[in-house]
Amino acid sequence: MLIAIPELDEEQVESTLARFRTVVQRTGGEAGEWNIWGRRKLAYEIDNRTDGFYAVMEFTAGERTLNELKRMLRVSDDVLRHMVVKLPPDYAQSGQRSAEMAETAEVPE
Amino acid sequence: MGKRRAPSKSSSRRERPVKSKPDIFNQEGITYIDYKDYNMLRRFISDRGKIRARRVTGLTPQHQREVAVAVKRAREMALLPYVAGK
Repeated sequence: MLIAIPELDEEQVESTLARFRTVVQRTGGEAGEWNIWGRRKLAYEIDNRTDGFYAVMEFTAGERTLNELKRMLRVSDDVLRHMVVKLPPDYAQSGQRSAEMAETAEVPE
Repeated sequence: MGKRRAPSKSSSRRERPVKSKPDIFNQEGITYIDYKDYNMLRRFISDRGKIRARRVTGLTPQHQREVAVAVKRAREMALLPYVAGK
């Protein structure tokens, strides 16, 4: 999951997300599609910003992918915050919930 | 009926009846407590944003731990507040 800065327009977001997806693929990982939650309010301010652009992607990764991806995420100015989480092996069965959540994510507060 | 009183007059404080709440994760068959499901996690934090105690949530030790981790992850990604001001 990553939070991109809200200043980007749609095209810039697309290209940023695509860039990380290719990083995974280029370094030998399998990348799923981005699940785009869209712009939402942050629970607290980060760098004086009150909202961010959320996107989630599932992927498989070896050590090489992980190191490179994390480095890119850290360096990128477009990414406000990111998190890589190891999913349990039986995640696929309970994974359909994230699709529902994406739809409710854009409710403004 | 209703209130259970302590047998001896002296120790009424200790003998609160313990009602066990059903563990909702066992009930709904959820195997992975997802940090992304912040609306579900809302149930386990107070209105100040603190994680509710096990005796309040009625979760099993394992689920309580998993909820705690999930809440902390959600906080890091600004899905839940660290402190909810009021």
